[in-house]
Amino acid sequence: MVSGTFVEVAPPLRAREAGVVPASRESWWTRARRIAPPYLYLTPAVVLLVVWTYQPLAQTFVLSLHSWNLVPGTPMEEVGIANYERLLGTPELGRSVWRTVVVILGMLPFTVVIPVLVALLTRRVRGRAQGVYRALVFAPMLVAPVAGAAVWQWLLDPSAGAVNRVLGTDVNWLNTTGTAQLSIIVITGWHVAGFAVLVVTAGLTGINPDYAAAAQVDGASRSQVTRWITLPLLSPTLAFLVLMTVLLSAQWTFPLIDTLTQGGPVGSTTNIYYLLWEYGFRHHDAGLAAAAGVLFFAGFIVVAALLTRLAERLSHHDD
Amino acid sequence: MTIDDAVGEPRVRRLGGHLVLGVLSLACVFPVYWLYATSVRAPGDVYSLSVLPWPLSTASYADAFAKNDVLGMLLNTGVVAVFSALGQLLVALLAAYAFVAWRFPLQRLLYLMFVGTWLVPFQATMLPNYVLLSRLGLLETLAGVIVPTLCSALGVLLLREHLAGFPKELLDAARMDGRSSWSTLWLVVVPALRPALAALGILLAITAWNEYFWPAMVLQRSNAVVQLGLRSFMGTEGNDWGPLMATAGLACLPVLVLYLVLQRHIVNAFVRSGLK
Repeated sequence: MVSGTFVEVAPPLRAREAGVVPASRESWWTRARRIAPPYLYLTPAVVLLVVWTYQPLAQTFVLSLHSWNLVPGTPMEEVGIANYERLLGTPELGRSVWRTVVVILGMLPFTVVIPVLVALLTRRVRGRAQGVYRALVFAPMLVAPVAGAAVWQWLLDPSAGAVNRVLGTDVNWLNTTGTAQLSIIVITGWHVAGFAVLVVTAGLTGINPDYAAAAQVDGASRSQVTRWITLPLLSPTLAFLVLMTVLLSAQWTFPLIDTLTQGGPVGSTTNIYYLLWEYGFRHHDAGLAAAAGVLFFAGFIVVAALLTRLAERLSHHDD
Repeated sequence: MTIDDAVGEPRVRRLGGHLVLGVLSLACVFPVYWLYATSVRAPGDVYSLSVLPWPLSTASYADAFAKNDVLGMLLNTGVVAVFSALGQLLVALLAAYAFVAWRFPLQRLLYLMFVGTWLVPFQATMLPNYVLLSRLGLLETLAGVIVPTLCSALGVLLLREHLAGFPKELLDAARMDGRSSWSTLWLVVVPALRPALAALGILLAITAWNEYFWPAMVLQRSNAVVQLGLRSFMGTEGNDWGPLMATAGLACLPVLVLYLVLQRHIVNAFVRSGLK
C-alpha cells in the first residue's frame, strides 16, 4: 500500500483561528476541534474492530488457560496450560491437521491449475464468447453454500442421484470414508474456482504485453512464451492464490461439512476448523476450543508470513 | 489484448480451446441448472434424468411454501443483507475518509489494525463473540447476526484505495468554500464515489446473504434465515428433493438475478476485493 498519497485538508477553523491566536496558545477547545475530526470519523470502525475482533482474540488467549462449559453464570476455573496439553495429547488433533493439509492440497488444482488454464484459454478466445465463458465459470461463486450443498447432495444421492445413474455406479459418495473427503473437495473447488479465474484474469491483464511480443520477434513459440514469460510474471498472483487457498480452505469447506457429512463418516471429513466447532459447540469445552483457536491463529501467522516472504521474492521479476 | 492474438492461429487449436472451456463451463453451470430443472419438474418426474424438464410444474414450490415459512426466511435474510451491507458501507466510508483526508498521529498503527484482521481467523474469536452476544441478549436475534459484521476491514481498505485517487483539488475547493469536513464528505466525496460505493455495497450484500457460519452460531435454535432453513430441510432420511430444490432455488434467486442484471459490476467488485 502506498502511504505517500495522503491529502492534508486542514479543517476550516484552523485557517480562521490561526491569525487570531498563536498556535502555542490555542485554547484546548480549539485544539481539540482541530485534532479530533479524523479520530471521530474512525471511531465507529475502530470500536467495532476492537469489540468484535481484537478484544475477543485476547479473551481467547485467556479462555485457553481456563476450564469452562460456556454456560453463562458458571464459574471459570484456571487450569494453566492443561488445555494445551490435553489438545496436543488427542490423536484427533493430528488427524484433523493432516486432513486439513489434504483439503488444501486437493484444493490447489481448483484454485490455481484450472484457473490458470481457463484464464489463458479465454484470453485467446475473442469477442462475446470470452465474456460468456467467464460468466458461466463464475456463476457457482454466487450460489449460496447451503444451496450448493443441497444440489450436490441430490446429484450424489446413492440411489436416485444423477451421478451414480449416469456413471452406472452405486457409490454412497458422502457416506464412505474414501469418497466423502473427495466429494467435499470437489464441491468446494466447484464453488470457488470462478473467483480464482477472475483473479488470474486480472493478473494477466496487468502483465506488459511487450515482453511476449519481444520474445515472439525473437522466434519464441507460443508455449515457450507462456512457459518462460507469462507464468513467471504471473507468479505474484499465483502466490496470492496459494496463500488464499491455505488460509481459507478449511473455512470454505465448513458449510458443506456441516450440512453434508457433519465431520463423518468416522471423522473422515473433520478438519481443524470443524474440530474446533465441535469442541466449542458440541462438547461445550470452551477451554479446549480456545486453545485450539490460539494454535490455529499462530499457525495462520506463520503460514502467512512464509508465503508473503515467498511472494515478495517472486515479485521482483517485473521490475 | 496481447499481440500474439493477432497472429493467425491454426483452427484446430482454437477449436481445442473452445472445447476445453466449453466442457469446464458446462461442469460449472450444470449443478445450478439441475437445481432449477428439478425444482420445476412435476412431482412424479423428480427422478427423471431428461435434460429438459417437461411438463413444467410449480408443485414443488407450492410444497416448499406449505412446509416452511420460505417467504419469512427470505425476508429475514434480505433484512440481514441490506442492513449489514448499508452499515458496513457507512462505517467503512467514514473510516476511509479519515485515512485519506487527514494526516494524524497513530495513523499507520490504526491502518494496520484493519489490515491485520486478515490474519485473525473467525475460529480464534468465535467463542468470546458468542459469549458477548449472549450477554447483550442478542443470541437468536437478527441484530445478533448483523451487529458483529458491521466493520468490514475489506470495505475500509477498498474505499481508502478509491479515495486516494480522488482529486485533492476538489477537497481544497470545498475547504475554500468554508464547508465543514462533514458536508464535504456528503456533498463532494460521496457523489463522486457513487459507482465504487454501489459495487462494494452489492458485494457486501451478496456476502451477507450467503453467509453461513455466523448465523449458524447466533441462531442455533431457529431457522430465521434462508441458509439455516435450507439446512433444517436437508439431511433427514429420505429427502424430499422437489421442495428442497425449490427452496434452494429461491435462496439463490435474488443473487443470481442481481448477477444477471449487474454482471460486469459484480465481477469487477469481486476482482478488486481479491486484489487489494
